[in-house]
Amino acid sequence: MANDPIKQFEISTIVPIEIANLDLSFTNSSLFMVATTAAVSAFLVLSTKGRGLVPGRWQAAAEMSYEFVAGMLRDAAGTQGMRFFPLVFSLFMFILFANMFGMFPYFFTVTSHIIVTFALAMLVIGTVVIYGFMKHGLGFLKLFVPEGVPGYLVPLVVVIEVISFLSRPLSLSVRLFANMLAGHITLKVFAGFVVSLSGLGFVGIVGSILPLIMTVAITALEFLVAFLQAYVFAVLTCMYLNDALHPSH
Amino acid sequence: MAVRVSSDFIAAIFVGAVLGWGVDQIAGTEPLGFIVLLLLGFAAGVLNVMRTLGLVAQAPSAQARAAPPPAAVSSAGNEARRDDTEEKGREGR
Repeated sequence: MANDPIKQFEISTIVPIEIANLDLSFTNSSLFMVATTAAVSAFLVLSTKGRGLVPGRWQAAAEMSYEFVAGMLRDAAGTQGMRFFPLVFSLFMFILFANMFGMFPYFFTVTSHIIVTFALAMLVIGTVVIYGFMKHGLGFLKLFVPEGVPGYLVPLVVVIEVISFLSRPLSLSVRLFANMLAGHITLKVFAGFVVSLSGLGFVGIVGSILPLIMTVAITALEFLVAFLQAYVFAVLTCMYLNDALHPSH
Repeated sequence: MAVRVSSDFIAAIFVGAVLGWGVDQIAGTEPLGFIVLLLLGFAAGVLNVMRTLGLVAQAPSAQARAAPPPAAVSSAGNEARRDDTEEKGREGR
């Protein structure tokens, strides 16, 4: 059906690859991930090629994105956190470009699949856990013992803190995925109303003005959400990395 | 914001439930681990939500960063600050 709102999220194989019974096919999702990475690289490499002391338009945009992420990381994790800048910047740019790519008609939205966002979140939490244990050893576990808790409450609080910590990758990935999925479905449903209503003759065409206005408004909102979710993901990444840097208090 | 809060809440419950189920599978304490950890998951979910909304002090590490290094501040000032953050935390729990 033409206005099936779920159809846009279907995975289709482009180049079938199978290694040792594992389906490693190159899909439309892979294609758009490659396109996202290529677009980010092209943007940054080409815009900073001139290396002007007075930046041009493109170079200013690239410098702005650098300053934006660097400021965010410095605020959340201090200057020590800057060693994670490549990770946070790559994540931010990848999610931002993937979300923005999703706004083109007929394009696939990589971040609307929970397995993709979950992999990104696990990358972050894996970095936090591994770096935390590498730097602080078992002192990293102090993260789960808040100060000033009476002794008999410690076991309970520790379990709650551990569950709270383990829920982070899940909530991080669900947030990004749910926002992109819900936004794109809403957009498609309202756009579908326009088509089906205008098939009903004059009254339908007049009536379809309302969903058309909504579609335009939601498109604008979706651009905001696309940026905001990339920002939220990066900010939370910074906060979690801060835990890895300073677990004790 | 709504998605943020609800995902924080639901994720903690889900993790609690899965942990409880896993403990049951390993230890053979069939419904007990699931029940207890599911309830603790609810507690963790509420904690997550309150942290997200800023009603409770952030995760322990964030406080440490907010306070100036001990060398720069007198011990009395440090004491007062710690009391302050403690009270904030208690009020939330």
